Amino acid sequence: MELRKIVALLLTPAILAGQILVASGQKRARTAELTEQQRIVHVLNRLGFGARPGDVERVKAIGVENYINEQLNPEKISDSVAENKVRDLSALNLTTAELYEKYPQPGQLLRQLQARGMLPENLADARENRVKGGANANPNAGANVGEMPKDDSKNSPAQPPANPLENEKYRELIQKYYRDNDLQRPQRISDELQASRILRAVYSERQLQEVMVDFWTNHFNVFAGKGADRWLLPAYDRDTIRPNAMSKFSTLLQATAQSPAMLFYLDNFQSVSPNANANVNRRMPLFRPQPQQQQRRGINENYARELMELHTLGVDGGYTQKDVQEVARCFTGWTIFQPRGGAAAANAMMGREGARQNAGTFVFNARMHDDGEKVVLGHKIPAGGGIKDGLMVLDILAHHPSTAKFISTKLVRHFVADDPPRALVDRVAATFTKTDGDIREMLKTIFFSREFNSTEAYRAKIKRPFELVISAIRSLGADTNGGPGTHQWIARMGEPLYGYQTPNGYSDVAESWVNTGGLLERMNFGLALANNRIPGTRVNLSKLSGEQSRVMDEYLKNLLAGEVSSATREALVKQLDQSDPVTKVVGLILGTPEFQRQ
Amino acid sequence: MNRRFFLKSGSIALASVGMSLSAPGFLQRAALANTGKTGKRKTLIAIFQRGAVDGLNMVVPFGEPAYYSMRPSIAIPKPEAANAESAINLDGFFGLHPSMAAFKPLWDSKRLAIVHAAGSPDNTRSHFDAQDYMESATPGMKSTSDGWLNRYLQSKPDPDRSLFRAVAISPKRTMPRALQGRAPALALANLAEFTIRAGKSSDNLQNGFEALYANKVNDQLTNTGRETFEAINYLKQVNPAQYKPDNGAQYPRNPFGTSLLQIAQLIKADVGLEVAFTDLDGWDTHVNEGNSRGQLGNLLQQFSAGIAALYQDLGQRMDDVTILTMSEFGRTARENGNRGTDHGHANAMFVIGNGVRGGKVYGSWPGLKSDQLYEGRDLALTTDFRDVFGEIATSHLGNDAQAIFPGYTLSRKNFKGFI
Repeated sequence: MELRKIVALLLTPAILAGQILVASGQKRARTAELTEQQRIVHVLNRLGFGARPGDVERVKAIGVENYINEQLNPEKISDSVAENKVRDLSALNLTTAELYEKYPQPGQLLRQLQARGMLPENLADARENRVKGGANANPNAGANVGEMPKDDSKNSPAQPPANPLENEKYRELIQKYYRDNDLQRPQRISDELQASRILRAVYSERQLQEVMVDFWTNHFNVFAGKGADRWLLPAYDRDTIRPNAMSKFSTLLQATAQSPAMLFYLDNFQSVSPNANANVNRRMPLFRPQPQQQQRRGINENYARELMELHTLGVDGGYTQKDVQEVARCFTGWTIFQPRGGAAAANAMMGREGARQNAGTFVFNARMHDDGEKVVLGHKIPAGGGIKDGLMVLDILAHHPSTAKFISTKLVRHFVADDPPRALVDRVAATFTKTDGDIREMLKTIFFSREFNSTEAYRAKIKRPFELVISAIRSLGADTNGGPGTHQWIARMGEPLYGYQTPNGYSDVAESWVNTGGLLERMNFGLALANNRIPGTRVNLSKLSGEQSRVMDEYLKNLLAGEVSSATREALVKQLDQSDPVTKVVGLILGTPEFQRQ
Repeated sequence: MNRRFFLKSGSIALASVGMSLSAPGFLQRAALANTGKTGKRKTLIAIFQRGAVDGLNMVVPFGEPAYYSMRPSIAIPKPEAANAESAINLDGFFGLHPSMAAFKPLWDSKRLAIVHAAGSPDNTRSHFDAQDYMESATPGMKSTSDGWLNRYLQSKPDPDRSLFRAVAISPKRTMPRALQGRAPALALANLAEFTIRAGKSSDNLQNGFEALYANKVNDQLTNTGRETFEAINYLKQVNPAQYKPDNGAQYPRNPFGTSLLQIAQLIKADVGLEVAFTDLDGWDTHVNEGNSRGQLGNLLQQFSAGIAALYQDLGQRMDDVTILTMSEFGRTARENGNRGTDHGHANAMFVIGNGVRGGKVYGSWPGLKSDQLYEGRDLALTTDFRDVFGEIATSHLGNDAQAIFPGYTLSRKNFKGFI
């Protein structure tokens, strides 16, 4: 054992040795070290979504430090299993313009066809009936933020009562229309996107990459229910978050700032300088706004504020309301070409080509931009900068000490403890500053730190619902198609993917997740999974046979690395004389306090 | 068996390993909860309009000419008898948004009071900070660890130790900031589904889980687990699926209506409910807010119809219930370039109950002329929201509510007298 520790130390990169010296010089309370086995379990839990059967042994064979370094370089890990799993999710490979064409919102598509006199007659009739009093006209049914803003005028509280018969007919006709024209419902996009996240988290060998995708998707939260964001999110995951999850923070920040998903979510796409050319619409027909926006467009501070408060500096990061206003001016003109797809679907139906392939992409529109001088956090931004104004702001923010501290705090909270150890946060922030915000280097500082590898950090984090579902599937060696059955459970436990409305993203501390309602759903999830009651997910519990208590211990090993309190074990043993003991015991283990931790 | 003996044995049952409180015992204790010598139990229902409702279109100052000049496309027309899209006249100066007709009878019978130009003195325009400040009731202080409703519970000992003393019902299933803290509280999405769901094995598996969470380990997870099973066992007795609202009340068929219905159910079940909390999202109307119809109107319709149904359903019980609504800040007095409104400052709050001196808009009105606006853009603040909270807390607790508001001096002379 001693020898093994020495060898481990020798193999440890120099950076770790350096940190141990620093730490010991700071006269800190000594903490017990993790055993090798615990460290492997810890790394599999925190750098990934938990161990599959056999993972602990595999990591032991290559060495935990080597495993960490592998995970830090996901581009070198072959990942054919996961890639095959997501290959059939066709929506995810389409451009946003193609999504608008193939997955149109029924109401929008029909309006466009109607405007062109192309609506089939029977559908036009049914549509009339629906608009007058169909069940879909119920003002309360979709009055949340999730509605496309342009539909709001239809949701009048004064609608007459529903007529289910007409509505049923209308639905059938629409279904037929979609079938005949090879179209899909927009909900399908969200389903496939969620499925891809689940499949990759379960099957990918690039576990840390998936953890970082989860982390940044939450840090740069976008709500799928806001207007066009459902169509914009596949590109956000594919082109914005994923390629930059372990690059430089500044690169990631700029990618989000120019992502149509964020521009739409935080309203920047329609933020216009009050001094912008009044003739913008006539001279730039491609940027013609929706009819309801044609008058009195103006500046919108929403993105500017959240950019500083939530994406970079943090709320106490030292900016003022004046800075918010100045930053908003800098980002005027950062917009989206045909933000809602324009007439993409209808044009496609009519075989019209044109500029539609660019629908839903980022564009800088100089005519919407406020080109005067601005001052942001004390930095002068000269007049006439155009798109450079926004880029300068991003550069200032990405190199601000408050950003280094804010991002480091969030990373340490995620990977180490709800209450992030101050000394480690400072070291990670120093890495941020030294490496120009290199995410990989910050992670390295964390993973090889004393604090990360301490008993205090071991199993100290409560799994969030997404993490719980993925780790349960992985540790049982279950198979899943990542379909709605799994989405619903994640949502039910309180973390619907792309379903968090406000830009702060889901909380990363236990208090927010440990409550009676959430805990009960966790137990019910465990039972549903063990009993194969989740559609699209299959677990084979009959693989193990033999004496029952040995079977139970095998599951305790796979699910909890065998680390379970004697009280828990006793409570489980009592279930062994019941009927169907394996299913029950596994369901119960998934609901133990121990399995909620990582 | 007298009451004291019963409570004592109840506490033993709670503390012992592996024992959840047996259902009949808990029922009995709960039934006793409403007959304590402290008099009738008061219940506060707090409703949070998350996202910052546009108070100027909710309670419309139609008597203010500036209101119309600043909101050319989203203003609500002045009351007109024949116009269903005009404001509902309250007092000749203020009117309700036309989609809030459900509130009019409550106003007329003087059960509904409004406090206008109320809110937080902190000038943050961040939703998260402002919600945090309003729910902790310590504007400007981020370090406050508990919520004001939790301190409200802490300030008054509960000898009955009701498991349902404080309940948040919302599809989110998360404990709102206002109820976080030392005093126990429950967060539920739905009463009916609040159980172990495993068909015929449910009871057996529930026993298994109860044993797992009966460990003496005193951590948040196991404590929460134990509370969960106490609540499950009690709810089995109430049979929430069979609920029928009284007095012909019709709750809106949406998550907000369902949450309110279940609050009524808990109140009528006499389980010792003192604080109920729910919220309604979606008020962040930066774009296409709508005027008499549209986005905001739809939400206000849900909001007012739901609360009016709750009032109707509770009937005479509203003697001991107060409904309070709040939102983190108001919105800009002027509409923005997207026919919406941006983050602003002061707002309007509703207080409803049979003990409320309603039919009146409280608080002094600061006006909407340019030089009267806060920072030149928002409705100015004339009532600190803590004085509204404090007045209700004082009235309900029957004593000094000062401890609930650290860093702020409550003074009866600042109370508006609405309750």
